[in-house]
Amino acid sequence: MAAAASQGGRSGGGGGGSGVGGGPSCGTSSSRTGLLDKWKIDDKPVKIDKWDGSAVKNSLDDSAKKVLLEKYKYVENFGLIDGRLTICTISCFFAIVALIWDYMHPFPESKPVLALCVISYFVMMGILTIYTSYKEKSIFLVAHRKDPTGMDPDDIWQLSSSLKRFDDKYTLKLTFISGRTKQQREAEFTKSIAKFFDHSGTLVMDAYEPEISRLHDSLATERKIK
Amino acid sequence: MVRAGVVGTHLPTSSLDIFGDLRKMNKRQLYYQVLNFAMIVSSALMIWKGLIVLTGSESPIVVVLSGSMEPAFHRGDLLFLTNFREDPIRAGEIVVFKVEGRDIPIVHRVIKVHEKDNGDIKFLTKGDNNEVDDRGLYKEGQNWLEKKDVVGRARGFLPYVGMVTIIMNDYPKFKYALLAVMGAYVLLKRES
Repeated sequence: MAAAASQGGRSGGGGGGSGVGGGPSCGTSSSRTGLLDKWKIDDKPVKIDKWDGSAVKNSLDDSAKKVLLEKYKYVENFGLIDGRLTICTISCFFAIVALIWDYMHPFPESKPVLALCVISYFVMMGILTIYTSYKEKSIFLVAHRKDPTGMDPDDIWQLSSSLKRFDDKYTLKLTFISGRTKQQREAEFTKSIAKFFDHSGTLVMDAYEPEISRLHDSLATERKIK
Repeated sequence: MVRAGVVGTHLPTSSLDIFGDLRKMNKRQLYYQVLNFAMIVSSALMIWKGLIVLTGSESPIVVVLSGSMEPAFHRGDLLFLTNFREDPIRAGEIVVFKVEGRDIPIVHRVIKVHEKDNGDIKFLTKGDNNEVDDRGLYKEGQNWLEKKDVVGRARGFLPYVGMVTIIMNDYPKFKYALLAVMGAYVLLKRES
């Protein structure tokens, strides 16, 4: 199956024999036309249930990510996501310690350790809530544009979006933080999701991609003028 | 533009595709799905352990299984217990205790208490709805219960809520099926 998939003009990096994983960084523009791995459905037109709000938002977010990473060749920065994953992992670690300790030393001898683990767990939950509300907000992509000369620090592009429950207005906000001047500029658009999906729930990239590009160019050109 | 012809080479996407969300994820998102599931389990576990620490009882919430305490408690009632060392056990109080050799705790009322000066006690229990006291339930040769047998003293109750637990214990397949469905839902669905 993997051999059959590779004949379709797909570049070697997409071979993903391990199956899942790789996400947007694996696809390149040439692979849109090729046959796909049985497992990965990255480059197929995205088809979702148009009445499912979270599926709609996820697919719009993913496609916006794809445009920025593939078309403009930016590099994704996983710092924000890794922070969230670490906090969650530490919380689960406390839970596992509590479980094992209580099993080895039955209550009531385990009382102090249990109390410590329970309190730490809920403190971590609090930290997680603060982190997702204030640091992460609704940002789903942080991408770097490496300076071609290698001299200046990277420019940072951030994407965040919102789609209210049962509403059809999708807001996408692109933030540009210049590496050199540390200035921040943003651009956003709010459009009905009906403009991007056809009646069967397929995301029409031809309608969506120009919007992203327009946002991007509006921020990029301002920079050049300065 | 939709490419209609390509679908045949893949798993069919028009039928129910429960792995659809997973297939579009990268390593980090997959790890987050697993973490999400782990966090839900951990939260439940931590709340339970927290209750154990707060009440001092090894099983702070129990379900009444028999009708031996009617009309006070009926089968299926949920009981909240505490087990603070300072609280004395007096005749007339309702305690949950474990008999050595049986793992199911029993909810009955204390009817006789003998107490020494240093605080050691021996007590006898009987269910309100039973004809005789519990000596028949105790271990061979045991006539009295001690503090160490006590799981907790009943502080409050919720009627009928415990029937869910009884049903799940009577039909374990139902319990496992329910847990499997809930687990699959959390693991396979992508959170926004």
